[in-house]
Amino acid sequence: MTMNKKTEQKIAFALFRLLGLLVAGILFWILGFIIYNGIGVISWEFLTTAPTEGMTAGGIFPAIAGTLCLVAGSVALAFPVGVMSAVYMNEYAGNNWMVRFIRVMTNNLGSIPSIVFGLFGMTLFVNTLGFGDSILAGSCTLGLLVLPLIIRTTEEALKAIPGSFRTGSLALGASKLQTIRKVVLPMAFPNIVTGLILSVGRVSGETAPILFTVAAYFLPKLPDSLFSQVMALPYHLYVIATSGTDIEASRPIAYGTALVLIVIVLLMNLLAATLRKLK
Amino acid sequence: MKHTEQELQSLKEEVSQMWKLVLSQLEKAKQAFLNNDIELAREIVSREKRVDAFELKIDSDCENYIALYSPVAIDLRLALSLIKISATLERIGDFAEGVARHVIDDDCSKIHPQIIEELQMERMFELLISMLSDSFVALESENTKVSGKILAQDDAVDAIYYASLDILTIYLQAEPSFLRCGLKLALLIRKLERIGDHCSNIVEEIVFYVDAKVLKHGMK
Amino acid sequence: MIQAKDINFYYGDFQALKNISMEIAAHTVTAFIGPSGCGKSTFLRLFNRMNDLIDNVRLTGECLVEGENIYHKSVQVDELRKKVGMVFQKPNPFPKSIFENVAYGLRVNGIRDKKYIARQVEESLRAAALWDEVKDKLKKSAFELSGGQQQRLCIARALAISPSILLMDEPASALDPISTSKIEELIHSLKKDYTIVIVTHNMQQAARVSDKTGFFMLGELIEYDDTKKIFLKPEKEQTQNYITGRFG
Repeated sequence: MTMNKKTEQKIAFALFRLLGLLVAGILFWILGFIIYNGIGVISWEFLTTAPTEGMTAGGIFPAIAGTLCLVAGSVALAFPVGVMSAVYMNEYAGNNWMVRFIRVMTNNLGSIPSIVFGLFGMTLFVNTLGFGDSILAGSCTLGLLVLPLIIRTTEEALKAIPGSFRTGSLALGASKLQTIRKVVLPMAFPNIVTGLILSVGRVSGETAPILFTVAAYFLPKLPDSLFSQVMALPYHLYVIATSGTDIEASRPIAYGTALVLIVIVLLMNLLAATLRKLK
Repeated sequence: MKHTEQELQSLKEEVSQMWKLVLSQLEKAKQAFLNNDIELAREIVSREKRVDAFELKIDSDCENYIALYSPVAIDLRLALSLIKISATLERIGDFAEGVARHVIDDDCSKIHPQIIEELQMERMFELLISMLSDSFVALESENTKVSGKILAQDDAVDAIYYASLDILTIYLQAEPSFLRCGLKLALLIRKLERIGDHCSNIVEEIVFYVDAKVLKHGMK
Repeated sequence: MIQAKDINFYYGDFQALKNISMEIAAHTVTAFIGPSGCGKSTFLRLFNRMNDLIDNVRLTGECLVEGENIYHKSVQVDELRKKVGMVFQKPNPFPKSIFENVAYGLRVNGIRDKKYIARQVEESLRAAALWDEVKDKLKKSAFELSGGQQQRLCIARALAISPSILLMDEPASALDPISTSKIEELIHSLKKDYTIVIVTHNMQQAARVSDKTGFFMLGELIEYDDTKKIFLKPEKEQTQNYITGRFG
């Protein structure tokens, strides 16, 4: 009987381990594949110059710069709004129908396909508000896209703070705002930052929302204002992989671009992990 | 019933067994004395050890109960009063043995039976037996209504004791040959009077346990 | 010091406290005992209006602290809470340094004078019998302290804003016996400067530390008397059944 149980357990765990390894294996396979194919084109020049010869040669610098601009812009817009609304929902509003409604809507917003955000962004920011195809329009669209993520991770971070810290602070004569500023937010900070960085990863990898709002097919110069168009890494990858001038010739560049994109995202995640530990 | 209550119940059980034993010792002492029954007296002496063993057992069980269960209020009062009651019962057992030894010594068997009657010793024994069994009922039923009656019986015992001195003095002046025997008889009556006091103490302990009132030393 | 008059308290439709009146004298330790859900913590939290944080509650009756009705419109809740400190069941120091934990109450109440803060922190830590253990590591995180030390830190934190009343909601229930006895010792020594009200599940603790004991059951104050009286000869049978463990 006990023997049976033990064998049963061994088999089950062996299976779990196998599946776990399988997932990790696939991940490493993809990574390895990209690195293997992309590492050849990576050079200082590749990172710092613009594409040339119909994007079959040269670098991807404008795309890197464009992605960084979009990340900075969207985070600058979404982060304060997201954190503040999460604070409102979790700390102030209590649990009434309105908050529940907002929460449901936020979650729904998060599950809308990103191409819909792209369309919406084009209609609202590009046309109605007249931003044109620009960093501003793109950042706003991406900001909307990651807002649910930021709200949700911030809310989770706030919820993870036990109520005893709040009551402890209030019992000392602190106001609610003081309690949030001096106790709750500092404690939630590492998790909020983690959420922020996850959203940075998300923003830097999205293609659809920027398709109609900011991304340029080919623009070998740096943006000079919020209303400039820019190239972006994911869109650039899409372009040279599907509709470039010479798809075969630009294949190594595509892998190189993918590698840079992955490295940026990985670096972000690493930063998130480090920040969390630093706290 | 919770196991803490069972623990208390078994403590009470032990005390009531001891009580029955002491009561039967006292009854036998009465029989042995009135009938000069040396056999019965020997039996009393031999059973005295069991009374002592009960006292030790109850003491240590109460100690354990207090240490392990940290009783409060009525439970604490019960444990405290049981310790004292068992010590008192042991003293009563000693006095019963004293009566038995008086019988065994056999040097008073020739004394005039009418003097025993005049001294009301049978009545004294009966009062004591009734006090001891009434107080037992009071503990079992946790009812202290009989306490007044028991304390009144003690007064009756005391009255017999005080009267006995005069009776003995007159008797011994007339019958000086019984002087030694008369002195022993006086000591015996003194012992019986002490049993009465001890029974009163037991009643006071029961009142402390049930009503949380302290009757001792006239603190009514 | 504290007077409660005909207090009724409701969570929604549920009546948690039923017509409770009680007077608590200054410089005494009063213990509230009773089975879980009997309302003793709810009653305790009336005195610094901690129940305000809960939605959908209703209170009738009067609650006076130092003669002032603390539920009157003119009362500032944060001022009240400076006067009526509170220590909770689980030690809840903030993720700050030991020093900053104690200074927190002073800072949120707008005190900037560094010398005053430093002096107050030291005095509070001394009063909480923690100073000697932490004086060399005031800058270390409060989380580095043991559970018992953390709880004494929370007591020091409450003392720093000079309350006159200290409410303790099962302050030792999460602690080991040695830490518990330190807290009890502390309660005993704080009595001369503060009025202490303590909720406890541990009846022996109530018996050891308090002068007066209130027994609550199903939202009612069944009996309130000298602790000695309660534990030797309670008037009510419910009290006796509870303290002797025959409850339920």
